Amino acid sequence: MSRQFRVRDVLLPNLDGALVLTMVASTAAVLLGALVQVRYGAYAMPFETVWRAMFDRAVWTNPQVLATILLGDGLAHTLGVYSDLSVLSDATAVVWTLRLPRVAVAAFVGMNLAVAGAIFQAITRNELASPYILGVSSGAGFAVVVTIVLSLGTYFLPLAAAVGGTGAFLLVYAVAWRGGTTPVRLVLGGVVVGTIFDSLQTGLFYFIDSNGAMRTAVSWLAGSLTGVGWMDVRLVVLPTLLVVPAALVAARQLDVLLLGERRARSLGMRVETMRFGLSALAILATAAAVSVAGLVGFVGLVVPHAVRTAVGSDYRKLLTGCLFAGPALVVVADVVARLGLGGIQVPVGVVTGLVGGPYFLLLLRRTESFNEF
Amino acid sequence: MPPTPHTDTDEPNRAADATDAAPADRVTDEDPVDSAALLGSGLQLGYGEGVVVDCEDIVVPEGEVTALVGPNGSGKSTLLKGFSAELDPTGGTVLLDGADVQTREPKQLARELGLLAQENDAPGGLTVGDLVSHGRYPHRGFLDPLDSDDEAHVDRAIDLAGVDHLRDTPLSELSGGQKQLAFVAMALAQDTDVLLLDEPTTYLDLHHQLRVMEVVRTLNEDRDVTVCVVLHDLQQAARFADYLVALDDGQVYDWGPPEDVVTETLLADVFEVDAAVTYDGEPRIVPRRPLD
Repeated sequence: MSRQFRVRDVLLPNLDGALVLTMVASTAAVLLGALVQVRYGAYAMPFETVWRAMFDRAVWTNPQVLATILLGDGLAHTLGVYSDLSVLSDATAVVWTLRLPRVAVAAFVGMNLAVAGAIFQAITRNELASPYILGVSSGAGFAVVVTIVLSLGTYFLPLAAAVGGTGAFLLVYAVAWRGGTTPVRLVLGGVVVGTIFDSLQTGLFYFIDSNGAMRTAVSWLAGSLTGVGWMDVRLVVLPTLLVVPAALVAARQLDVLLLGERRARSLGMRVETMRFGLSALAILATAAAVSVAGLVGFVGLVVPHAVRTAVGSDYRKLLTGCLFAGPALVVVADVVARLGLGGIQVPVGVVTGLVGGPYFLLLLRRTESFNEF
Repeated sequence: MPPTPHTDTDEPNRAADATDAAPADRVTDEDPVDSAALLGSGLQLGYGEGVVVDCEDIVVPEGEVTALVGPNGSGKSTLLKGFSAELDPTGGTVLLDGADVQTREPKQLARELGLLAQENDAPGGLTVGDLVSHGRYPHRGFLDPLDSDDEAHVDRAIDLAGVDHLRDTPLSELSGGQKQLAFVAMALAQDTDVLLLDEPTTYLDLHHQLRVMEVVRTLNEDRDVTVCVVLHDLQQAARFADYLVALDDGQVYDWGPPEDVVTETLLADVFEVDAAVTYDGEPRIVPRRPLD
């Protein structure tokens, strides 16, 4: 058996019409969103200029320039591939250093949240579970507000968010554990820990003294992509490279977990270990997204749900669909968040929430019973 | 004194038990403990503080169909959970092929012992074929794809359970009986020597009840699989099983072939029912009224 064959068996889903359509439509949405995002803004330019900037030979034929853009000044210096970027034209600089990274971060955030949501929906056996169900959002939010109150510096925020989110998740597990866990106990544990951290966070708000800090805090809690750059891409890309293949490999475990706990156990699965491992994987994905974008809501809830309606509940397919549809939602939502209101940018989480609400309203109107997973 | 299976040991108390166990002696010349696929000894099972099952010796003979019967709350399902290592016994041991079930690796146990639980919720979009292929889980490593051997077992299981025509049908479109057959097929794909079934016929229409029991019977006869099944329906149990274990309040009331176990006394003592029991090749139980 050749190695290639194995990789295909382990990672790739059986493509069918619905999945291919989801992938193609999502990719089209991402590309279209990216084009609009790059074209419009305070520095407006015609499409022709955008095109030229995107395929600027000063970038593509010069690996050092490309490396400096992608890796950042510091890292490029360290690796000895630094090149001065001031040689680039204005349009190229705007496209490459300001607008493209924002699209890339949006795509990675969507990807991670959608995958995390899909995993949590299997673990809790609840198709309306979100990546934040096990207290991650509250823990991360609390840690972020603490960082802001103590003025520890904004570059600490991603770390604080990841640590706070993971800490809350572990606390939820500790609360829910009684000789083992069950999905219901975990969800209730999430409610307990979430409630406490949310209260603490709200209380802490009164200790924020400057308007600017308040604004930072609010935009973090709502989930915003304003001002992200290649540094954020670098921050989110590493966990993503781990999460995506791991999730695809684990898809079969999720399928078996969905057959019910007793059945999974009788098939020889160490349910408790598997559930913790998969939760940890989903938390890593969530933390990666939260650390660069804050608490973008509804993506991890809506995307897996919508993809499941299209491709079915086979997790290899579902996760693959999520890898495409997640970026589509966040990239397009961020276009609206950045450009929709003219001069004022709103957090992207506000827009995803405004999309998510009506989606569930539609579902509520259309669906007779919610028993089918 | 509940009769316990005959044992050829030198222990005096065991020997004394064996004298009481007259029905068991007539069953077989073999030593049932030696030929036991599953042997529970001094077994105490319960949830939290409460003890639900407390029995001295219980044997599931190899290569036979054994039915656990008893009224609600008599500990049938709990005993099955003990057998499948789902429940940690508070006392005693369960030996599968001579080794403790608790000490086995979960996957190793799942290759030797299958369990068809009562739980029937699975994603509605899952097809029968996909469901059955999950039965190969214990035979696959974390990264192993379904190989040709797995495929063969899946095909055989689907064929044996008679759900070939439903292979590509999603579970949400199946009737309760068809669904149960699909789950039976999944347990068959597990390819174990011992199969435990927890009330596999409850809630099914008559046709599918018989279908399920027929599949189980075929599996036992053709492939020599040891079956232990919890059945609600005493008459059904008496018809299909080689051995019956009647449980009463967590203890073994009687053990043996159906014609020895199913008596009017059993129905009165254990099920608290006044009934007439007759045999003409098959047992016939006519319940008359509940006893207070």
